[in-house]
Amino acid sequence: MLSSIVQALLNGLVSGTILAVPAIGFTAIFAVLRYPNFAIGSLATIGAYAGWYANVRLGWPLEASFALAFLGAGIAAVSAEWLAVRPLEKSGALMMAICSLAVGIVLENMVRFGFGNDPRGFNVPLMRDIRFGDLRISPQQVENFAVALVLMALLWAALNFTRMGRAMRATADNPDLARLKGVEPATVAAITVVVGGGLAGVGGMLVALDTAADPLTGFRLILSVFAAAVLGGLGSIPGAVVGALLIGMVEELTVLLLAPNYRTAIGFVVILIVLTIRPSGLFGEKSG
Amino acid sequence: MSVLVIERLVGGYASADHIVKGVSMTADAGEMVAIIGPNGAGKSTALKLATGLLRASAGKVSVAGVDVTGASPQAVLAAGLVLVPQERNVFAALSIEENLAMGCYTTPGQVRQRREAVYARLPLLAERRRSLGRMLSGGQRQLLAMGIALMAEPRVLALDEPTAGLSPKAASELFGSIRGLAGDGVAIIMVEQNAIEALDVCDRGYVLVDGQVVREGAASAIVADEDIRRLFLGGRKGHGQAGPAPQSSPVPAGMPAASSIATSTATASTPSQQERQP
Repeated sequence: MLSSIVQALLNGLVSGTILAVPAIGFTAIFAVLRYPNFAIGSLATIGAYAGWYANVRLGWPLEASFALAFLGAGIAAVSAEWLAVRPLEKSGALMMAICSLAVGIVLENMVRFGFGNDPRGFNVPLMRDIRFGDLRISPQQVENFAVALVLMALLWAALNFTRMGRAMRATADNPDLARLKGVEPATVAAITVVVGGGLAGVGGMLVALDTAADPLTGFRLILSVFAAAVLGGLGSIPGAVVGALLIGMVEELTVLLLAPNYRTAIGFVVILIVLTIRPSGLFGEKSG
Repeated sequence: MSVLVIERLVGGYASADHIVKGVSMTADAGEMVAIIGPNGAGKSTALKLATGLLRASAGKVSVAGVDVTGASPQAVLAAGLVLVPQERNVFAALSIEENLAMGCYTTPGQVRQRREAVYARLPLLAERRRSLGRMLSGGQRQLLAMGIALMAEPRVLALDEPTAGLSPKAASELFGSIRGLAGDGVAIIMVEQNAIEALDVCDRGYVLVDGQVVREGAASAIVADEDIRRLFLGGRKGHGQAGPAPQSSPVPAGMPAASSIATSTATASTPSQQERQP
């Protein structure tokens, strides 16, 4: 039993780290644009298919395929933002959130139209699992874990050591003052959406690498992403990482006790508990 | 020649909402100008209109001869007029060092050099350069807000209630720092609820009532004016001579009838007044 728990925690650490990538994208968009972009699930699907197309159809290596997943989802995100969501800015965050749900449905069906409903596997070699006593982990999981860590490190460096990164954090913290200091809100918003959407795309590809890309890849992810962001505190990037790790581990531990079908309920339960006990999340600022 | 010229400025939070009704003001280089008046008189709104945060529906604003009427906050900043808002005037999630860097966001090549100059002027910021904005006390935050503004090397510094919420000691120290800036040639235009203290350190003053300037002149003359003192300064004659604020007072000739003047007298100078009353 103990080894099962440790194995579940190890799996949770890997899946939580992967989940953190789109969760950071989701929370970053919320921090700067102040609405929850539920199209992030479909953006993850677009990233998964863009990566698959690069890897399988074009024969690109995985590193280059990740880049196309990031770009494809990022461009789709900013296009949807400009065409559909931004025109509703004056109607408030709720209308923008509802619009993003609709955008997500449209994007998902565009993927279906282009690639069909069949699952698409990546062109990766089959390898034996790595074993540590009773514990097992696949080389692909290790690689995905490393990619997620590298991506988070790059994002951290960009946010802390570049002028635009600082402007993004400043805008998320105090948009009025940022504007007074000469920050162009539209530019910061566009870059945030491209980065947030791009991260969702890479997250989608990481998930698809572990299983396969299908039109519901992102849809299955969205509840866990939202739960991770809410648990960490909407708008907090460290919060999204911690929230994703916790959700990943709890989801894996649940499988030990309940049928795997109940795994999706974890997100709902976490959101319910957090909103009841601590609506601002673990790292969020209390309002009022 | 005045470095800041505001002429017949009109505007408010909505296009039809005229909180400020034709305000004209000037500030010379190195001069400190106080704007006092009751709550709701339009003091802060006038600063927001001048600095481009709100769009003026009429009037003209120029900084060092550059017309910035209706310009964006970025353009006003580039002209040399920098606003320090009353609230949320620092980036709470950024360190002091990063806050200062945001102060000259539009001129990134100057960050290092200007930051050292600000540290030299405000050494407390240098001591706590790694601290986050949210970790600072009220007075330290105001100093940081001024430091951020100084990073833009302003010609005119517009301060919206810089001493709000500060202890008398912290307020006095802050006024000293502001005086030092004026000594270096920066024009200061300052909205203040601590009217007596503000007039004590300023060269000139404007009294705003109901969106209009009802009195202007040397700060010492405003403090000495019986009507102004009775209406806006709680009848006080200066430090240590506080008297009770009147419950009702006639509006002097030449001032617009503002029904709220009498009842808002206490709020015009309330914090320090209450602290000093025996």
